[in-house]
Amino acid sequence: MTDTKLTIDGVEVRFGEALALAETGLEVKNGEFITFVGPSGCGKTTLMNVVAGLQRPTSGRVLMDGQDISGRPGHVGYMFQKDLLVPWRTVTGNIVLGAALTGRATNADRADARELARRYGLGDFVDHYPHALSGGMRQRVALMRTLAFHKDVLLLDEPFGALDAQTRLEMQQWLLQVWADSGRTVLFITHDVDEAVFLADRVVVMSPRPGRIQAIHDVGLPRPRTVDTLLTPDFMELKSQVLAGLYHHMEG
Amino acid sequence: MKAVRLATPLFAVLLVAAVWQLAVSVFKVPAYVLPSPSQTWSALGDDWTNIRSLAAQTLYESAIGFLVGAGIGFALAVAMAHVKIAHRVLYPILIATQAVPIVAIAAPLVIILGYGLAPKLVIVGLIVFFPVVVNVLDGLSGIDAGMVNLARSMGAGPVKIFLLIRLPATLSPLFSALKLGAAYAVTGAVIGEWTASITPGLGKDLLLKNSRLDTAGVYADVLLLTAIGIGGFLLMTILERVATPWRTRSTARRWFRR
Ligand SMILES: Nc1ncnc2c1ncn2[C@@H]1O[C@H](COP(=O)(O)OP(=O)(O)OP(=O)(O)O)[C@@H](O)[C@H]1O
Ligand SMILES: [Mg+2]
Repeated sequence: MTDTKLTIDGVEVRFGEALALAETGLEVKNGEFITFVGPSGCGKTTLMNVVAGLQRPTSGRVLMDGQDISGRPGHVGYMFQKDLLVPWRTVTGNIVLGAALTGRATNADRADARELARRYGLGDFVDHYPHALSGGMRQRVALMRTLAFHKDVLLLDEPFGALDAQTRLEMQQWLLQVWADSGRTVLFITHDVDEAVFLADRVVVMSPRPGRIQAIHDVGLPRPRTVDTLLTPDFMELKSQVLAGLYHHMEG
Repeated sequence: MKAVRLATPLFAVLLVAAVWQLAVSVFKVPAYVLPSPSQTWSALGDDWTNIRSLAAQTLYESAIGFLVGAGIGFALAVAMAHVKIAHRVLYPILIATQAVPIVAIAAPLVIILGYGLAPKLVIVGLIVFFPVVVNVLDGLSGIDAGMVNLARSMGAGPVKIFLLIRLPATLSPLFSALKLGAAYAVTGAVIGEWTASITPGLGKDLLLKNSRLDTAGVYADVLLLTAIGIGGFLLMTILERVATPWRTRSTARRWFRR
């Protein structure tokens, strides 16, 4: 179980002349939870797009279970920075979108979707259209859609950005629960250092111009993590290390 | 509330009729200049069996022309959105078709297509297809690129992306165009009948009555033509509500829930 799930091997991305992502390498272990922090424009989303197969790297490749998946979409569950709910599909319809797009959404898929929605507080909204949902609810539907796509690797691009602090903490714990239950591998982008440290096995700090990995912090905090974890000295220490790295870069 | 909403337009129509009636009686306008609503109404009633079959003919021409025009318009828009060269070649031609005065090409069309249904379909189609092309193109190009990327990230092929993401996004703009087209289609059918007809319809009948100074009869025909246009518009409005429920409702209709 602890073998390598994902290898980002010498990936570089240019948009014309501009170097969006300088040569980047990272090995992700099976079932690992990795968070990415870094200032806006440092190439976090670009890196996710490469792993998702949407963006072909200018050089380098991405391996999943030893297979080259560069430029080949459909291997990971990807939640975008925007919720991108399909306006003409109900909550249920949106959750089963992956099945509908790649084959057929069966009644079993729909039943699972409704069950998922019910379990995570959207039971009364399964037949609602997205425009009738709050921002936080939309975000949750987008996350459920990603989960319902049943892939081993989840890419989550600022999934909780639009949530208030309390809902956010609930969602973080829910995600940790889902992750612990399913043993999936998660790559998670955030701007919130607390969130990055709280969730991660490893925190990857990125820096811009050109986008690159600046430092990787191992987070040894015991699991399961709760609200109390946020108050431990170890957590504080890690957080200040990550912050120092980010801050150091901004001064430099 | 619903009763009030339905009653308001009806009331507006009655108001116009009342003012019209009043004006005609007060100023003593002769019927061959401007017939009153009641005279128009009785002209409609007197000639009803004849007018009804004429109306059926005109309705038929409008409806078929409308379907042909909308269908071709939609197909063109899809082709133009997906094939760049088609867009570049076709767009100026489309504009040109709308710059040509319809009345001017009606006569030459007869020479090519004869006096049957064909020239009328072409004229109605020419009028209807343009707003459909423009609106559906807008709908297709206005799609959030992120939505398409999301579908791609799930490994969806171009056909599925078209059916599940692009196509539904064209529905709202499509229906805006269809509502316009439904109202204009009748005009096209009448122009078609004027220039190119041996089969009798309301347009032809209108000319005939006009030459006889049967003004009340002309107004009766106009009334019916208007009714066909409004009927088409209303039908499109209802279809729009059924086809795009997410625009007006917060939840899916019960029988569509799955
Ligand atoms: N399609 C593109 N064409 C040209 N340049 C791009 C494109 N996508 C991203 N870039 C550039 O690449 C750089 C990295 O962008 P990216 O979206 O990966 O940043 P990010 O770290 O996700 O930022 P944020 O935190 O604001 O989401 C930016 O300078 C951006 O302008
Ligand atoms: Mg980003």
